Amino acid sequence: MNKTSNIVAHHRPNLLVEALADLVGELIPGNEEWPSGRDVGVQYSLQLRFIEEKGDASLPALTAALVAIGAPFGNLDGAARLEAVQNLEASEPKLFGWRRDAAYFAYYATPGVIEVINGRGTPLHARPHLNGYDLPPFDRATQTPTHGRGHWIPTEAVARVDVSTLELGRRITTAWGMKR
Amino acid sequence: MIARDDVRDVLIIGSGATGALSAMVLAQAGLDVICLEQGGWIERKDFVHSHTDWSWQRQTNWNPDVNRRLHADGYPVHSDSSQVLMWNGVGGSTNAYGAIWPRYRPSDFRKGDEHGLQPNWPISYEEIAPFYERVDRIVGVSGLCGDPAMPPREECPTGPLPFGLAAQRLAKAFDKLGWHWWPVEAGVISRDYDGRPACNGCGMCNGCPRGSMSLFSQSVWPKALAAGAELKTHARVLRIETGADGRASGAIWKNRITGAEERTRARVVIVAANGVGTPRLLLASDNLANSSGHVGRNLLHHTLVGAQIWVDEPVNAQMGYIASLFSREFAETDISRGFVNGFNFNCLTSTPSPGEMAAGWLTNTRAPWGAGHHDWIASRFGHSIGFFAIGDDLPSPDNRVFLNDEATDEDGVPVISMHYEPGENDRRMMNFMLDRMVDVADAAGAFDVALQDYRDESGVYRTPAWHMIGTCRMGDDPEDSVVNGWHQSWDVPNMFIVDGSVLATGGVVNPTPTISALALRASEYIRDNFAELSYTTKTIPK
Repeated sequence: MNKTSNIVAHHRPNLLVEALADLVGELIPGNEEWPSGRDVGVQYSLQLRFIEEKGDASLPALTAALVAIGAPFGNLDGAARLEAVQNLEASEPKLFGWRRDAAYFAYYATPGVIEVINGRGTPLHARPHLNGYDLPPFDRATQTPTHGRGHWIPTEAVARVDVSTLELGRRITTAWGMKR
Repeated sequence: MIARDDVRDVLIIGSGATGALSAMVLAQAGLDVICLEQGGWIERKDFVHSHTDWSWQRQTNWNPDVNRRLHADGYPVHSDSSQVLMWNGVGGSTNAYGAIWPRYRPSDFRKGDEHGLQPNWPISYEEIAPFYERVDRIVGVSGLCGDPAMPPREECPTGPLPFGLAAQRLAKAFDKLGWHWWPVEAGVISRDYDGRPACNGCGMCNGCPRGSMSLFSQSVWPKALAAGAELKTHARVLRIETGADGRASGAIWKNRITGAEERTRARVVIVAANGVGTPRLLLASDNLANSSGHVGRNLLHHTLVGAQIWVDEPVNAQMGYIASLFSREFAETDISRGFVNGFNFNCLTSTPSPGEMAAGWLTNTRAPWGAGHHDWIASRFGHSIGFFAIGDDLPSPDNRVFLNDEATDEDGVPVISMHYEPGENDRRMMNFMLDRMVDVADAAGAFDVALQDYRDESGVYRTPAWHMIGTCRMGDDPEDSVVNGWHQSWDVPNMFIVDGSVLATGGVVNPTPTISALALRASEYIRDNFAELSYTTKTIPK
């Protein structure tokens, strides 16, 4: 943290939450249907979860990082705000990712946001475990598979296969998984 | 040291699924049973399921990864690869599992005959089948009998769970491909059963405080306690002791409430501490029961990859039990695929949480921040379906858990380390699995598909390892296994291992049903042979 941001942080106890509010407002902006992350108070959850995860001592560094990109954004126009957050993401991608994900979790646990999702026709309870969802029971008449596919090998019918053609010890698969 | 003069009939170490079953069987037979559990009871109110921030807590306080949750009841596991998922407490990992409940296949027990790259089990499918049925009745398993891809079975104690839109969509996709599918079997009751309420379809299936999912703390332990078993919580076993005759004499444990070390003596010792905890305890007990050198080795996780698809029409898979159907199309070996062994598709519903989805549920596919965020979630939440491919990995002695020479936990027990790396056959299988997942996505008409190979940016395979098996495997040969077909240690004849560490192969399925059936079988063997086991100094092959 530089000297200036130290002074600012010291004299503006709400600086962090103001900066976080601007950040979550950019991460989850509002529109005519959805409230913004800022509007539903994601910044407050984010601050507390940051303390839980990273410790109290980490707050000055968080404040400094946000101040360094110009937060709180004040009179910055939309393009400048977007660029500021993009710079933050590029400068510390791992920590930025943590904040983004934590903001998402907080946002979608908010009653107002859950109401929007239900209003779109997607059933969602804030605490589904309490009452569950009303689902039609399995219908044996129409939902029992009739395809007749599938086989299994009885114990006494397990037969030796020739694995020599596989060359498991010689042909090594170095390109595996999604990067092939 | 607090030492008691009395000698208990049976000492059980660990109170998870298998410890619970052993305690129930042996206490109901009138034996004097004590179980030592390092954790505590997890009360209904301790679960996060009714909290407003439950989705966040599933990442933190309710995270099954011991190295993320860092709960005092657990212990650290240094892993250079796998995510270590388990729960220490009464009921063990059933407190946080998903209870998908498929069985092994007959060929899973005969891989030595089939190709020789894995051992045969000392028992057959036919020997375990009756115990599958009985465990299913204890648990109240839901499902549908008649699957042509499996041996015949009795009707499930509770019928199939609701077959939602996601299941129907995938079923049509498998039909289009001409592949097998069948409604899932689950350790979740579809109707009220044994004093527990039916599943309400909440979708929050990592543990279930209402008890619709079988938590062994709620379904089995009450029966064991009613029969007179003593369950000592916050009792962390430090080491198993043996006498001059080579028999286990009991265990030294730390009372985590008082801090005192105590000794419990017993005629028979049962270790039920899971595929990590059991080898850790044996290795920490002067390399006990390890004349074969196999304690801790041959760690199996299953060959696992995942996929998430999104479809245009709503499937609302945020509702309902987490799993929907199996496809056993590829369960048996077919050499033409380029590898041995097979795999299943474990088809899911989806996450119950839009927050989890936005933050990259299953495949790390995240919602964009900024202007496109709402359109992304609007088109994807309620439109998502997940599925896994889970295959039979080959054992390697280099895949193992072992004691860390340089670190101890707060009780002075060496920290356990874990290493796991897929072998050549496993890598080939994973490539095949991922390609078939794309086939499923295409057949389902998905507008997008994301895959998950669990490799990190360095290429290390970091599978979410619920399944930690094989580390004290059973066999016919004392030189190649740790226990015999009755779970009896070759080296310590009155010590039995009943948890998942004894599985000689992993099959293509979630192992808890098999582990439970085996534990029931072993416990009845101990019950029926207790008098002889009280003095024998020799283990004979099963």
